[in-house]
Amino acid sequence: MDQLKDILTMFGVTWGKFLAQVFIFLIVYLVLKKFAFGPVMAMLDERKRRIQEGEENLEKIKRDLDEAEAKTHEIIDVANKKSERMIEDARESAETFTNQQRQEAVHEANQIIAKAKEAGRLEQEQMASELKREFGRLVIDTTSKVSGKVLDQDDQERINRETAGQIAL
Amino acid sequence: MFGPGPLHLSRLAVEKKADVSAVLNAFFNPVDLNVPGLLMQRAVLASGSIPAEAFGGGDSWLTNSIFVALIVMGIILLFTRMATRRMELIPGAKQNFVEFIVEFLYSQVEEILGEKVAKRAFPLLATIFIYVLVSNWFGLLPGVGTMGFAHSEEDLTGPVTLSETAHFTPLLRPASADLNATLGMAVVFMLVWFFITMRETGPVDFLKHIFAPKGGLTGFMWILLVPIFAFVGVIEVISILFRPVSLSLRLFGNVYAGETLLHAMSGMADKLPGAVKFLFDILLPLPFYFMEILVGILQAVVFALLCTVYIQLSTAHDEEEH
Repeated sequence: MDQLKDILTMFGVTWGKFLAQVFIFLIVYLVLKKFAFGPVMAMLDERKRRIQEGEENLEKIKRDLDEAEAKTHEIIDVANKKSERMIEDARESAETFTNQQRQEAVHEANQIIAKAKEAGRLEQEQMASELKREFGRLVIDTTSKVSGKVLDQDDQERINRETAGQIAL
Repeated sequence: MFGPGPLHLSRLAVEKKADVSAVLNAFFNPVDLNVPGLLMQRAVLASGSIPAEAFGGGDSWLTNSIFVALIVMGIILLFTRMATRRMELIPGAKQNFVEFIVEFLYSQVEEILGEKVAKRAFPLLATIFIYVLVSNWFGLLPGVGTMGFAHSEEDLTGPVTLSETAHFTPLLRPASADLNATLGMAVVFMLVWFFITMRETGPVDFLKHIFAPKGGLTGFMWILLVPIFAFVGVIEVISILFRPVSLSLRLFGNVYAGETLLHAMSGMADKLPGAVKFLFDILLPLPFYFMEILVGILQAVVFALLCTVYIQLSTAHDEEEH
Protein backbone atom coordinates (compact mmCIF):
# COMPACT_ATOMS: atom_id res chain seq x y z
CA MET A 1 0.00 0.00 0.00
CA ASP A 2 2.85 2.33 0.84
CA GLN A 3 4.44 1.52 -2.48
CA LEU A 4 1.24 2.43 -4.29
CA LYS A 5 1.09 5.64 -2.28
CA ASP A 6 4.70 6.40 -3.22
CA ILE A 7 3.94 5.79 -6.90
CA LEU A 8 0.87 8.01 -6.79
CA THR A 9 2.86 10.71 -4.99
CA MET A 10 5.62 10.45 -7.59
CA PHE A 11 3.05 11.05 -10.32
CA GLY A 12 1.37 13.81 -8.33
CA VAL A 13 -1.93 12.00 -7.98
CA THR A 14 -3.96 13.44 -5.13
CA TRP A 15 -7.67 13.28 -4.40
CA GLY A 16 -8.14 17.00 -5.00
CA LYS A 17 -6.44 17.09 -8.38
CA PHE A 18 -7.94 13.76 -9.41
CA LEU A 19 -11.48 14.82 -8.55
CA ALA A 20 -10.98 18.19 -10.23
CA GLN A 21 -9.95 16.45 -13.46
CA VAL A 22 -12.84 13.99 -13.13
CA PHE A 23 -15.32 16.85 -12.65
CA ILE A 24 -13.96 18.73 -15.65
CA PHE A 25 -14.19 15.63 -17.80
CA LEU A 26 -17.67 14.84 -16.53
CA ILE A 27 -18.83 18.38 -17.28
CA VAL A 28 -17.49 18.09 -20.83
CA TYR A 29 -19.13 14.67 -21.15
CA LEU A 30 -22.53 15.70 -19.83
CA VAL A 31 -22.67 19.00 -21.70
CA LEU A 32 -21.58 17.41 -24.97
CA LYS A 33 -24.04 14.57 -24.47
CA LYS A 34 -26.95 16.92 -23.85
CA PHE A 35 -26.16 19.87 -26.08
CA ALA A 36 -24.00 18.45 -28.85
CA PHE A 37 -24.35 14.74 -29.51
CA GLY A 38 -28.08 14.66 -28.78
CA PRO A 39 -29.09 17.49 -31.13
CA VAL A 40 -26.52 16.50 -33.76
CA MET A 41 -27.65 12.87 -33.77
CA ALA A 42 -31.27 14.00 -33.87
CA MET A 43 -30.44 16.28 -36.78
CA LEU A 44 -28.57 13.49 -38.57
CA ASP A 45 -31.50 11.14 -37.99
CA GLU A 46 -33.92 13.80 -39.20
CA ARG A 47 -31.81 14.40 -42.30
CA LYS A 48 -31.49 10.67 -42.89
CA ARG A 49 -35.25 10.33 -42.50
CA ARG A 50 -35.86 13.17 -44.92
CA ILE A 51 -33.43 11.76 -47.43
CA GLN A 52 -35.10 8.38 -47.11
CA GLU A 53 -38.49 10.01 -47.43
CA GLY A 54 -37.27 11.97 -50.43
CA GLU A 55 -35.93 8.83 -52.03
CA GLU A 56 -39.18 7.03 -51.33
CA ASN A 57 -41.10 9.95 -52.82
CA LEU A 58 -38.77 9.93 -55.79
CA GLU A 59 -39.37 6.23 -56.23
CA LYS A 60 -43.10 6.80 -55.90
CA ILE A 61 -43.01 9.65 -58.40
CA LYS A 62 -40.98 7.50 -60.76
CA ARG A 63 -43.43 4.66 -60.31
CA ASP A 64 -46.38 7.00 -60.84
CA LEU A 65 -44.68 8.45 -63.87
CA ASP A 66 -44.10 4.99 -65.28
CA GLU A 67 -47.68 4.08 -64.52
CA ALA A 68 -48.91 7.33 -66.09
CA GLU A 69 -46.75 6.70 -69.13
CA ALA A 70 -48.05 3.16 -69.40
CA LYS A 71 -51.57 4.43 -68.94
CA THR A 72 -51.03 7.13 -71.54
CA HIS A 73 -49.68 4.53 -73.94
CA GLU A 74 -52.63 2.33 -73.16
CA ILE A 75 -55.08 5.18 -73.70
CA ILE A 76 -53.34 6.17 -76.92
CA ASP A 77 -53.39 2.55 -78.05
CA VAL A 78 -57.08 2.27 -77.20
CA ALA A 79 -57.77 5.59 -78.92
CA ASN A 80 -55.76 4.48 -81.94
CA LYS A 81 -57.62 1.23 -82.09
CA LYS A 82 -60.90 3.03 -81.61
CA SER A 83 -60.12 5.57 -84.27
CA GLU A 84 -58.96 2.81 -86.61
CA ARG A 85 -62.17 0.97 -85.94
CA MET A 86 -64.18 4.15 -86.48
CA ILE A 87 -62.34 4.82 -89.72
CA GLU A 88 -62.92 1.21 -90.75
CA ASP A 89 -66.57 1.50 -89.76
CA ALA A 90 -66.86 4.75 -91.66
CA ARG A 91 -65.17 3.20 -94.64
CA GLU A 92 -67.42 0.16 -94.42
CA SER A 93 -70.55 2.23 -93.95
CA ALA A 94 -69.45 4.50 -96.80
CA GLU A 95 -68.88 1.45 -98.95
CA THR A 96 -72.20 -0.01 -97.89
CA PHE A 97 -73.92 3.27 -98.53
CA THR A 98 -72.21 3.56 -101.91
CA ASN A 99 -73.20 0.03 -102.78
CA GLN A 100 -76.69 0.62 -101.57
CA GLN A 101 -76.91 3.84 -103.55
CA ARG A 102 -75.45 2.12 -106.55
CA GLN A 103 -77.91 -0.74 -106.19
CA GLU A 104 -80.76 1.68 -105.72
CA ALA A 105 -79.60 3.62 -108.75
CA VAL A 106 -79.26 0.43 -110.75
CA HIS A 107 -82.63 -0.73 -109.49
CA GLU A 108 -84.17 2.62 -110.32
CA ALA A 109 -82.51 2.62 -113.69
CA ASN A 110 -83.76 -0.90 -114.29
CA GLN A 111 -87.20 0.17 -113.23
CA ILE A 112 -87.04 3.18 -115.58
CA ILE A 113 -85.81 0.93 -118.34
CA ALA A 114 -88.52 -1.62 -117.60
CA LYS A 115 -91.15 1.09 -117.52
CA ALA A 116 -89.77 2.52 -120.73
CA LYS A 117 -89.78 -0.92 -122.26
CA GLU A 118 -93.28 -1.53 -121.02
CA ALA A 119 -94.41 1.81 -122.32
CA GLY A 120 -92.68 1.09 -125.64
CA ARG A 121 -94.28 -2.31 -125.81
CA LEU A 122 -97.68 -0.97 -124.97
CA GLU A 123 -97.23 1.77 -127.47
CA GLN A 124 -96.04 -0.77 -130.01
CA GLU A 125 -98.98 -3.02 -129.22
CA GLN A 126 -101.33 -0.10 -129.45
CA MET A 127 -99.80 0.93 -132.71
CA ALA A 128 -99.91 -2.64 -133.95
CA SER A 129 -103.53 -2.99 -132.99
CA GLU A 130 -104.30 0.35 -134.55
CA LEU A 131 -102.33 -0.70 -137.58
CA LYS A 132 -104.19 -3.98 -137.66
CA ARG A 133 -107.42 -2.21 -137.26
CA GLU A 134 -106.49 0.29 -139.90
CA PHE A 135 -105.28 -2.46 -142.12
CA GLY A 136 -108.44 -4.43 -141.47
CA ARG A 137 -110.45 -1.36 -142.35
CA LEU A 138 -108.41 -0.92 -145.50
CA VAL A 139 -108.92 -4.59 -146.36
CA ILE A 140 -112.67 -4.25 -145.73
CA ASP A 141 -112.84 -1.06 -147.76
CA THR A 142 -110.83 -2.64 -150.49
CA THR A 143 -112.86 -5.83 -150.36
CA SER A 144 -116.15 -3.92 -150.42
CA LYS A 145 -114.94 -1.77 -153.27
CA VAL A 146 -113.58 -4.73 -155.18
CA SER A 147 -116.60 -6.89 -154.59
CA GLY A 148 -119.01 -3.99 -154.72
CA LYS A 149 -120.80 -5.52 -151.94
CA VAL A 150 -121.68 -3.87 -148.72
CA LEU A 151 -120.20 -5.98 -146.11
CA ASP A 152 -122.26 -6.61 -143.04
CA GLN A 153 -121.07 -6.62 -139.55
CA ASP A 154 -120.22 -10.30 -139.47
CA ASP A 155 -118.26 -10.11 -142.69
CA GLN A 156 -116.35 -7.19 -141.44
CA GLU A 157 -115.50 -8.95 -138.22
CA ARG A 158 -114.51 -12.13 -140.06
CA ILE A 159 -112.34 -10.18 -142.54
CA ASN A 160 -110.79 -8.23 -139.67
CA ARG A 161 -110.07 -11.45 -137.80
CA GLU A 162 -108.58 -13.16 -140.81
CA THR A 163 -106.54 -10.12 -141.70
CA ALA A 164 -105.31 -9.76 -138.18
CA GLY A 165 -104.45 -13.46 -138.18
CA GLN A 166 -102.45 -13.16 -141.29
CA ILE A 167 -100.61 -10.01 -140.34
CA ALA A 168 -97.62 -10.81 -138.13
CA LEU A 169 -96.30 -7.83 -136.48
CA MET B 1 3.92 36.36 -33.72
CA PHE B 2 4.69 32.99 -32.14
CA GLY B 3 8.28 32.90 -33.16
CA PRO B 4 10.56 31.70 -30.41
CA GLY B 5 11.39 28.17 -29.44
CA PRO B 6 9.83 27.00 -26.23
CA LEU B 7 12.97 27.06 -24.15
CA HIS B 8 13.88 30.64 -24.82
CA LEU B 9 11.17 32.01 -22.67
CA SER B 10 11.84 29.88 -19.67
CA ARG B 11 15.53 30.48 -20.09
CA LEU B 12 14.84 34.16 -20.28
CA ALA B 13 12.68 33.95 -17.25
CA VAL B 14 15.44 32.30 -15.31
CA GLU B 15 18.45 34.15 -16.54
CA LYS B 16 17.37 37.66 -17.42
CA LYS B 17 15.76 38.22 -14.07
CA ALA B 18 12.55 39.20 -15.79
CA ASP B 19 9.18 39.20 -14.13
CA VAL B 20 6.12 37.45 -15.53
CA SER B 21 5.07 40.40 -17.65
CA ALA B 22 8.58 40.53 -19.10
CA VAL B 23 8.35 36.84 -19.93
CA LEU B 24 5.01 37.31 -21.66
CA ASN B 25 6.29 40.39 -23.43
CA ALA B 26 9.33 38.49 -24.59
CA PHE B 27 7.19 35.69 -25.91
CA PHE B 28 5.41 38.01 -28.30
CA ASN B 29 8.60 39.86 -29.22
CA PRO B 30 11.11 37.37 -30.56
CA VAL B 31 13.81 40.00 -30.96
CA ASP B 32 14.23 40.15 -27.21
CA LEU B 33 14.99 36.47 -27.14
CA ASN B 34 18.04 36.55 -29.25
CA VAL B 35 20.29 37.19 -26.33
CA PRO B 36 23.74 35.69 -26.73
CA GLY B 37 25.58 33.91 -23.96
CA LEU B 38 22.56 32.72 -22.01
CA LEU B 39 23.13 29.66 -19.97
CA MET B 40 20.91 26.67 -19.94
CA GLN B 41 19.53 24.91 -16.96
CA ARG B 42 18.21 21.78 -18.61
CA ALA B 43 17.24 19.97 -15.48
CA VAL B 44 15.01 22.77 -14.34
CA LEU B 45 13.75 23.96 -17.68
CA ALA B 46 13.34 20.85 -19.73
CA SER B 47 9.73 20.00 -19.14
CA GLY B 48 8.98 20.46 -15.54
CA SER B 49 8.41 17.69 -13.05
CA ILE B 50 6.42 14.51 -13.58
CA PRO B 51 3.54 15.73 -11.37
CA ALA B 52 1.61 18.73 -12.57
CA GLU B 53 2.75 21.87 -10.79
CA ALA B 54 0.33 23.50 -8.38
CA PHE B 55 0.14 27.26 -8.70
CA GLY B 56 1.96 28.73 -5.77
CA GLY B 57 3.36 25.34 -4.77
CA GLY B 58 2.00 23.15 -2.06
CA ASP B 59 -0.88 20.72 -2.39
CA SER B 60 -3.34 23.07 -4.02
CA TRP B 61 -5.72 21.29 -6.37
CA LEU B 62 -5.33 24.03 -8.96
CA THR B 63 -2.42 22.90 -11.11
CA ASN B 64 -1.25 24.14 -14.47
CA SER B 65 -2.70 20.93 -15.95
CA ILE B 66 -6.13 21.58 -14.45
CA PHE B 67 -5.88 25.16 -15.69
CA VAL B 68 -5.32 23.82 -19.22
CA ALA B 69 -8.10 21.27 -18.75
CA LEU B 70 -10.44 24.17 -17.95
CA ILE B 71 -9.27 25.99 -21.07
CA VAL B 72 -9.75 22.84 -23.17
CA MET B 73 -13.19 22.38 -21.67
CA GLY B 74 -14.01 25.98 -22.54
CA ILE B 75 -12.77 25.59 -26.11
CA ILE B 76 -14.76 22.41 -26.70
CA LEU B 77 -17.93 23.68 -25.10
CA LEU B 78 -17.71 27.10 -26.76
CA PHE B 79 -17.16 25.61 -30.19
CA THR B 80 -19.92 23.03 -29.89
CA ARG B 81 -22.23 25.69 -28.49
CA MET B 82 -21.51 27.93 -31.47
CA ALA B 83 -21.94 25.03 -33.86
CA THR B 84 -25.12 23.60 -32.40
CA ARG B 85 -26.90 26.71 -31.15
CA ARG B 86 -29.04 27.08 -34.24
CA MET B 87 -29.19 23.68 -35.85
CA GLU B 88 -30.49 23.75 -39.38
CA LEU B 89 -31.25 21.08 -41.92
CA ILE B 90 -28.87 22.78 -44.33
CA PRO B 91 -25.86 23.21 -42.04
CA GLY B 92 -23.37 26.04 -41.90
CA ALA B 93 -19.60 25.46 -41.83
CA LYS B 94 -19.31 24.91 -38.07
CA GLN B 95 -22.40 22.73 -37.80
CA ASN B 96 -21.22 20.76 -40.81
CA PHE B 97 -17.84 20.19 -39.20
CA VAL B 98 -19.36 19.01 -35.91
CA GLU B 99 -21.82 16.79 -37.77
CA PHE B 100 -19.00 15.30 -39.80
CA ILE B 101 -17.03 14.50 -36.63
CA VAL B 102 -20.05 13.06 -34.83
CA GLU B 103 -21.20 11.02 -37.81
CA PHE B 104 -17.73 9.66 -38.47
CA LEU B 105 -17.16 8.70 -34.84
CA TYR B 106 -20.61 7.19 -34.51
CA SER B 107 -20.16 5.04 -37.60
CA GLN B 108 -16.85 3.74 -36.21
CA VAL B 109 -18.36 2.99 -32.80
CA GLU B 110 -21.47 1.43 -34.33
CA GLU B 111 -19.34 -0.82 -36.50
CA ILE B 112 -17.68 -2.29 -33.42
CA LEU B 113 -20.49 -2.25 -30.86
CA GLY B 114 -23.59 -2.64 -32.96
CA GLU B 115 -26.50 -0.22 -33.08
CA LYS B 116 -28.01 -0.93 -29.66
CA VAL B 117 -24.91 -0.58 -27.48
CA ALA B 118 -23.44 2.15 -29.70
CA LYS B 119 -26.33 4.48 -28.86
CA ARG B 120 -25.51 4.16 -25.14
CA ALA B 121 -21.73 4.20 -25.30
CA PHE B 122 -21.21 6.73 -28.07
CA PRO B 123 -21.44 9.97 -26.04
CA LEU B 124 -18.71 8.85 -23.63
CA LEU B 125 -16.44 7.41 -26.32
CA ALA B 126 -16.79 10.49 -28.51
CA THR B 127 -16.13 12.76 -25.52
CA ILE B 128 -13.01 10.79 -24.68
CA PHE B 129 -11.71 11.07 -28.22
CA ILE B 130 -12.45 14.77 -28.60
CA TYR B 131 -11.21 15.73 -25.14
CA VAL B 132 -7.98 13.75 -25.45
CA LEU B 133 -7.33 15.02 -28.97
CA VAL B 134 -7.87 18.68 -28.08
CA SER B 135 -5.79 18.27 -24.91
CA ASN B 136 -2.93 16.64 -26.80
CA TRP B 137 -2.88 19.20 -29.59
CA PHE B 138 -3.29 22.07 -27.16
CA GLY B 139 0.04 20.98 -25.69
CA LEU B 140 1.72 21.67 -29.01
CA LEU B 141 0.78 25.34 -29.06
CA PRO B 142 3.74 27.66 -28.56
CA GLY B 143 3.95 28.75 -24.97
CA VAL B 144 2.44 25.62 -23.43
CA GLY B 145 5.05 24.25 -21.05
CA THR B 146 7.43 27.11 -21.73
CA MET B 147 5.72 30.18 -20.36
CA GLY B 148 5.60 30.34 -16.64
CA PHE B 149 7.02 31.53 -13.36
CA ALA B 150 10.48 31.14 -11.89
CA HIS B 151 10.78 31.05 -8.13
CA SER B 152 13.61 30.24 -5.82
CA GLU B 153 13.74 26.57 -4.95
CA GLU B 154 13.48 27.39 -1.27
CA ASP B 155 10.28 29.42 -1.55
CA LEU B 156 8.00 28.43 -4.39
CA THR B 157 5.38 30.92 -3.31
CA GLY B 158 7.88 33.75 -3.14
CA PRO B 159 8.63 36.43 -5.71
CA VAL B 160 9.69 35.64 -9.24
CA THR B 161 13.41 35.22 -9.56
CA LEU B 162 15.76 34.50 -12.42
CA SER B 163 18.60 32.92 -10.54
CA GLU B 164 20.26 29.90 -12.11
CA THR B 165 18.85 27.61 -9.44
CA ALA B 166 15.31 28.89 -9.76
CA HIS B 167 12.47 26.47 -10.06
CA PHE B 168 10.45 27.03 -13.22
CA THR B 169 6.69 26.44 -13.06
CA PRO B 170 5.04 26.40 -16.46
CA LEU B 171 1.81 28.34 -16.67
CA LEU B 172 0.31 25.80 -19.04
CA ARG B 173 0.75 22.06 -19.13
CA PRO B 174 -1.21 19.71 -21.41
CA ALA B 175 -4.10 18.19 -19.48
CA SER B 176 -3.20 14.74 -20.75
CA ALA B 177 0.35 15.14 -19.46
CA ASP B 178 -1.03 14.82 -15.94
CA LEU B 179 -1.80 11.36 -14.57
CA ASN B 180 -4.73 12.80 -12.61
CA ALA B 181 -6.47 13.65 -15.86
CA THR B 182 -5.80 10.42 -17.69
CA LEU B 183 -6.61 8.35 -14.61
CA GLY B 184 -9.79 10.39 -14.10
CA MET B 185 -10.94 9.68 -17.65
CA ALA B 186 -10.07 6.01 -17.30
CA VAL B 187 -11.96 5.68 -14.03
CA VAL B 188 -15.01 7.47 -15.42
CA PHE B 189 -14.88 5.17 -18.42
CA MET B 190 -14.66 2.06 -16.23
CA LEU B 191 -17.70 3.17 -14.24
CA VAL B 192 -19.69 3.75 -17.42
CA TRP B 193 -18.34 0.47 -18.83
CA PHE B 194 -19.59 -1.36 -15.73
CA PHE B 195 -22.99 0.33 -15.97
CA ILE B 196 -23.39 -0.50 -19.67
CA THR B 197 -22.19 -4.07 -19.16
CA MET B 198 -24.58 -4.67 -16.29
CA ARG B 199 -27.43 -3.19 -18.26
CA GLU B 200 -26.67 -5.22 -21.35
CA THR B 201 -25.80 -8.58 -19.85
CA GLY B 202 -26.88 -8.48 -16.21
CA PRO B 203 -24.68 -9.58 -13.29
CA VAL B 204 -25.29 -13.32 -13.74
CA ASP B 205 -24.41 -13.38 -17.41
CA PHE B 206 -21.43 -11.12 -16.71
CA LEU B 207 -20.06 -13.54 -14.12
CA LYS B 208 -20.80 -16.47 -16.43
CA HIS B 209 -19.03 -14.63 -19.21
CA ILE B 210 -15.93 -14.28 -17.05
CA PHE B 211 -15.80 -17.55 -15.09
CA ALA B 212 -17.92 -20.17 -16.83
CA PRO B 213 -16.44 -22.60 -19.39
CA LYS B 214 -16.98 -21.50 -22.96
CA GLY B 215 -17.13 -23.29 -26.27
CA GLY B 216 -20.43 -25.09 -25.79
CA LEU B 217 -18.95 -27.79 -23.52
CA THR B 218 -21.29 -30.11 -21.63
CA GLY B 219 -21.14 -33.05 -19.25
CA PHE B 220 -17.85 -34.31 -17.91
CA MET B 221 -15.71 -31.98 -20.01
CA TRP B 222 -17.60 -29.02 -18.63
CA ILE B 223 -16.96 -30.13 -15.04
CA LEU B 224 -13.33 -30.85 -15.84
CA LEU B 225 -12.75 -27.40 -17.27
CA VAL B 226 -14.56 -25.44 -14.55
CA PRO B 227 -11.41 -24.91 -12.41
CA ILE B 228 -9.36 -23.86 -15.41
CA PHE B 229 -11.93 -21.35 -16.60
CA ALA B 230 -12.38 -20.12 -13.02
CA PHE B 231 -8.65 -19.46 -12.84
CA VAL B 232 -8.75 -17.74 -16.24
CA GLY B 233 -11.67 -15.70 -14.88
CA VAL B 234 -9.55 -14.51 -11.96
CA ILE B 235 -6.86 -13.42 -14.43
CA GLU B 236 -9.56 -11.71 -16.48
CA VAL B 237 -10.77 -9.81 -13.41
CA ILE B 238 -7.22 -8.69 -12.69
CA SER B 239 -6.79 -7.56 -16.28
CA ILE B 240 -10.08 -5.64 -16.06
CA LEU B 241 -8.93 -3.97 -12.85
CA PHE B 242 -5.69 -2.98 -14.54
CA ARG B 243 -7.43 -1.44 -17.53
CA PRO B 244 -7.70 2.05 -16.03
CA VAL B 245 -4.03 1.86 -15.05
CA SER B 246 -2.89 0.81 -18.51
CA LEU B 247 -5.18 3.29 -20.24
CA SER B 248 -4.09 6.21 -18.13
CA LEU B 249 -0.36 5.44 -18.04
CA ARG B 250 -0.21 4.87 -21.81
CA LEU B 251 -1.73 8.24 -22.59
CA PHE B 252 0.16 10.09 -19.87
CA GLY B 253 3.48 8.49 -20.84
CA ASN B 254 3.12 9.30 -24.52
CA VAL B 255 2.10 12.91 -24.06
CA TYR B 256 4.60 13.61 -21.29
CA ALA B 257 7.37 11.98 -23.31
CA GLY B 258 6.38 14.05 -26.34
CA GLU B 259 6.54 17.25 -24.34
CA THR B 260 9.93 16.30 -22.94
CA LEU B 261 11.19 15.41 -26.41
CA LEU B 262 10.16 18.78 -27.82
CA HIS B 263 11.87 20.59 -24.95
CA ALA B 264 15.01 18.52 -25.36
CA MET B 265 15.14 19.19 -29.09
CA SER B 266 14.69 22.90 -28.49
CA GLY B 267 17.75 22.99 -26.25
CA MET B 268 20.11 20.83 -28.28
CA ALA B 269 22.05 23.74 -29.70
CA ASP B 270 22.65 25.63 -26.49
CA LYS B 271 26.40 25.63 -26.78
CA LEU B 272 26.36 27.13 -30.27
CA PRO B 273 26.63 30.84 -31.03
CA GLY B 274 23.51 32.97 -30.71
CA ALA B 275 22.15 33.16 -34.27
CA VAL B 276 22.90 29.51 -35.07
CA LYS B 277 21.42 28.45 -31.77
CA PHE B 278 18.30 30.46 -32.46
CA LEU B 279 17.96 28.81 -35.86
CA PHE B 280 18.55 25.32 -34.49
CA ASP B 281 16.16 25.93 -31.63
CA ILE B 282 13.46 26.46 -34.22
CA LEU B 283 14.46 23.85 -36.78
CA LEU B 284 15.38 20.89 -34.57
CA PRO B 285 12.01 20.45 -32.86
CA LEU B 286 10.12 21.03 -36.09
CA PRO B 287 9.99 17.39 -37.34
CA PHE B 288 9.04 16.30 -33.83
CA TYR B 289 6.17 18.76 -33.81
CA PHE B 290 4.73 16.92 -36.83
CA MET B 291 5.35 13.63 -35.11
CA GLU B 292 3.60 14.89 -31.99
CA ILE B 293 0.62 15.98 -34.07
CA LEU B 294 0.36 12.38 -35.22
CA VAL B 295 0.97 11.02 -31.73
CA GLY B 296 -1.74 13.35 -30.42
CA ILE B 297 -4.42 11.94 -32.70
CA LEU B 298 -3.04 8.40 -32.46
CA GLN B 299 -3.25 8.38 -28.67
CA ALA B 300 -6.78 9.78 -28.80
CA VAL B 301 -7.73 7.02 -31.23
CA VAL B 302 -6.00 4.34 -29.14
CA PHE B 303 -7.67 5.46 -25.90
CA ALA B 304 -11.14 5.67 -27.48
CA LEU B 305 -10.69 2.49 -29.49
CA LEU B 306 -9.56 0.45 -26.50
CA CYS B 307 -12.52 1.72 -24.51
CA THR B 308 -14.79 0.69 -27.37
CA VAL B 309 -13.23 -2.75 -27.56
CA TYR B 310 -13.56 -3.21 -23.78
CA ILE B 311 -17.27 -2.47 -24.04
CA GLN B 312 -17.61 -4.77 -27.03
CA LEU B 313 -15.86 -7.64 -25.24
CA SER B 314 -18.14 -7.47 -22.25
CA THR B 315 -21.42 -6.89 -24.09
CA ALA B 316 -21.01 -9.25 -27.05
CA HIS B 317 -22.60 -12.67 -26.95
CA ASP B 318 -20.33 -15.56 -26.09
CA GLU B 319 -20.43 -17.21 -29.51
CA GLU B 320 -19.26 -13.97 -31.11
CA GLU B 321 -16.37 -13.30 -28.81
CA HIS B 322 -13.20 -15.26 -29.15
